[in-house]
Amino acid sequence: MRLLAVLLAFASLATAQEKVLRIPIRADGPKTLDPVRGSTQYEAEVCEQVYETLVQYSYLEYPKLEPLLLEEMPKVDGLVYRFKLKKGVRFRDDPCFPDGKGRELVAKDVFYSWKRMADKRNQPKAWWLFEQTIKGFDAYREAQNKAGKFDYDAPVEGMRILSDHEFEVELTEPVYRFLYVLAMFQTAVVPREAAERYGDAFSGHPVGTGPFLLSRDEDWQRTKSIVLHRNPGYREAFFPDAGGEARHEAAGKRIPFADRIEITFFQEDQPMWLEWKAKNLDYVTVPSENFTEAYTKRKRTLRPEWEEQGVTSAPIPLLDFIWQCGFNMEDPLVGGYTEEKRALRKAISYAVDLEETNDRFYNSINVVYDGMIPPGLDGHPPEGRSPKGARGPDLDKARALLAKAGYPDGKGLPPLEYWSATGTIQQEMLELLQRQLGKIGVQLKPRFVDFSQLTEAVHEKRAQLFGFAWGSDYPDGENNLALFYGPNESPGSNSFNYKNAEYDELYQRIRTMGPSPERTELYARMRDMVLEDCPFVGAMARTRFYLIRPRLRNCRPCETFWNWLKYLDVDPGAK
Amino acid sequence: MWQYVVRKLLWNIPVYLGILLVVMVALRVNDPVWARLGKNATQEQYEQTKEDLGLHESFLRQYGRLLNGFDLDRYSWDKHGRTVRQELSQAVWPSLAIAGPALVLTTLVALLTALLAAFRRGRPLDRWLMAGAVVGMSISYVVYVILGQYFGAYKLNEWVGREIFAIQGYDRSQPLWWVQYCLLPVLINAALAVGYDARFYRAVIVEESTRDHVRTARAKGLSERRVWLKHVLRNAMISVITHVMITLPFLVAGQIVIEVYFGIPGMGSTLITAILGKDFPIVQGFTAVFAALFIVTNIATDVLYAVVDPRVRLQ
Repeated sequence: MRLLAVLLAFASLATAQEKVLRIPIRADGPKTLDPVRGSTQYEAEVCEQVYETLVQYSYLEYPKLEPLLLEEMPKVDGLVYRFKLKKGVRFRDDPCFPDGKGRELVAKDVFYSWKRMADKRNQPKAWWLFEQTIKGFDAYREAQNKAGKFDYDAPVEGMRILSDHEFEVELTEPVYRFLYVLAMFQTAVVPREAAERYGDAFSGHPVGTGPFLLSRDEDWQRTKSIVLHRNPGYREAFFPDAGGEARHEAAGKRIPFADRIEITFFQEDQPMWLEWKAKNLDYVTVPSENFTEAYTKRKRTLRPEWEEQGVTSAPIPLLDFIWQCGFNMEDPLVGGYTEEKRALRKAISYAVDLEETNDRFYNSINVVYDGMIPPGLDGHPPEGRSPKGARGPDLDKARALLAKAGYPDGKGLPPLEYWSATGTIQQEMLELLQRQLGKIGVQLKPRFVDFSQLTEAVHEKRAQLFGFAWGSDYPDGENNLALFYGPNESPGSNSFNYKNAEYDELYQRIRTMGPSPERTELYARMRDMVLEDCPFVGAMARTRFYLIRPRLRNCRPCETFWNWLKYLDVDPGAK
Repeated sequence: MWQYVVRKLLWNIPVYLGILLVVMVALRVNDPVWARLGKNATQEQYEQTKEDLGLHESFLRQYGRLLNGFDLDRYSWDKHGRTVRQELSQAVWPSLAIAGPALVLTTLVALLTALLAAFRRGRPLDRWLMAGAVVGMSISYVVYVILGQYFGAYKLNEWVGREIFAIQGYDRSQPLWWVQYCLLPVLINAALAVGYDARFYRAVIVEESTRDHVRTARAKGLSERRVWLKHVLRNAMISVITHVMITLPFLVAGQIVIEVYFGIPGMGSTLITAILGKDFPIVQGFTAVFAALFIVTNIATDVLYAVVDPRVRLQ
């Protein structure tokens, strides 16, 4: 009896000591956990816990890059990058391996994973990351996709394996973003055994080297939640020690700290906010409708009642490009490059009042700007204004342009189909947009779908008008300019399907340029070329306000990368 | 009775086959492959996708596949790596865990309210009850859900100092999972539906209470209790059963708002997501199951008629 009591006490102690990280995702969550099929932030948020990339952003010294799967940063000799993988990095245990034991990650896994991006049958969303980058890779892609069977063992001229842990990559030209690309989750390394064994089901059965893993496929309840457990076979890795800065209290401690991550997907803000208030979430991003509940509106300081609870606030300016209304440039009605089509789009743009949207829905905390390059990056227009921008509201100009397009007062223009993610806020935003456009006689026909379906419709060029946001993959305006590069058309990142030969030529030039005044000038020129054609109405950049519970330690949120959950520690006794 | 059930089942087979046929045809009126790929896809991509989706086979073959176990092992087109079977089995239990108890609770409360109102017909209690029912009906479903979640879960837990109802979620591994995750949605559902049902049942009961046989029963000197329970309520049950049985399939599949707010992975949100995402395998699979459910509840309704009303003969 006594022994039983002791055992029970131990059991309850073990449960009590389990470190559980409880975090929200404000959407219906990832659609896939296969890196090459992923494209959204939500897919990144989960994939980056279970898979790893060659390099990562430094947690304490962002945006510096540092090795993750690599022993050291690659050595660059002209166009050739030489990589050395860490030894002892193992894939998690899984039945796809002999005896179910995860094997060591080797160089051929890296090339296999990248080649999956070239295989169209995998429905890759981010081929544009590698396009015209590695010598022979584009030709390999074309040849293999044309052949009946995609041969992953066929060589690529610019990919050379030197040993199990060493390989080199030869670029076509000095593509500046290449290292940033290697930090993106789409280029994460997956084992061939798993991808081949699970086929389609690989999307829901990740087998990675990351600090966390999906123990059972049922732990992912699509559109509701996902639970990840600490990977017991994760190699020895430690909390970083930023040189120069005061030593972080966690520096040198083994990561990951959490035993389990419980991620809940919230399609509506109310349940998320209530869960936060009930102390069931360790951090939250403040929904705009609850902003004044958390912060004073004028000074934007945290309200005392939260401070008394020990809650801290972390405002994160996002590298954001939110467009109110994107146009599918291939759509026969709103797309095209004739004067009339430009006039139609600009009329819509001049009718939209972004400041009103900012005030109503974001408590005026967003930055409204012309173009696609967010504040803080080269190419962002001075004071956020460009002479080529069609910033509203200017209803007279809007009406004149609408008449020029052939639709005086909107007559003859059928209702435009506007695709948006579901949600109360999105509905209200669309109602505001309908009211603003209604002033010039332009009608919208709303199509509300889940976020994942919205991206699908845009990728398939089905959406006539659509609204969402682009968060920069890496802190360089080139990433945003790539959104208008012709060959990146849907399902690539060019959701607008914008095409302009001169622009594409300039884009080819900037790809190989490092930061310089000349490059900044080209960025501005390209930005204005796009503004002239007006493929979107925008833009805004948000500041995300994170509230963090005192039980959560080491939290420095960043939305460019997501593998920082491994650095988060929690006090298991506190709520 | 069993003979009747078997005969009914046999009669419903062509109906069922017809439903599935109509659904399949409706989903293929516009080429689903082009709908998925968009108008700029190449012919090569079209052919490849058509094969991947299993649409390269003849219509009859696809129909046969659907009939042969609802094609449950086909992969969802939208949720990569998930089969129809997985989606269905994940969604059906949460839906039943809410719809079943909600229906029972709503029916009991609505019947009791209707009985009280009918018994006190024209008096203040009747007026108050029916006024309450009208108010209840007039409030939007979303308001019930938002306020129910705020006061029923968040505020109640705060007042009590411990979690009675979860704000959202669904975890069957918890010992009191049904109370924690399902009871509040059940109560919200009941609060919403009681108004409608009570008014309907009251009208039925009032009508029954004025019939000749009820007057005769009273004239015979039967007690009021016996008159109401045996002669009024029992005869009113035909309408009640019809209403309840027709409601059941809709209740199982129609909990979209509540499922989204409470994070419940039920059939309503799964089906609506599939419809919006043109996820045909899921839509077909779910429709097949719903149609079967509907037919079974219809037959069960007929059987129940005979149980509650001796005048009904199942032939």
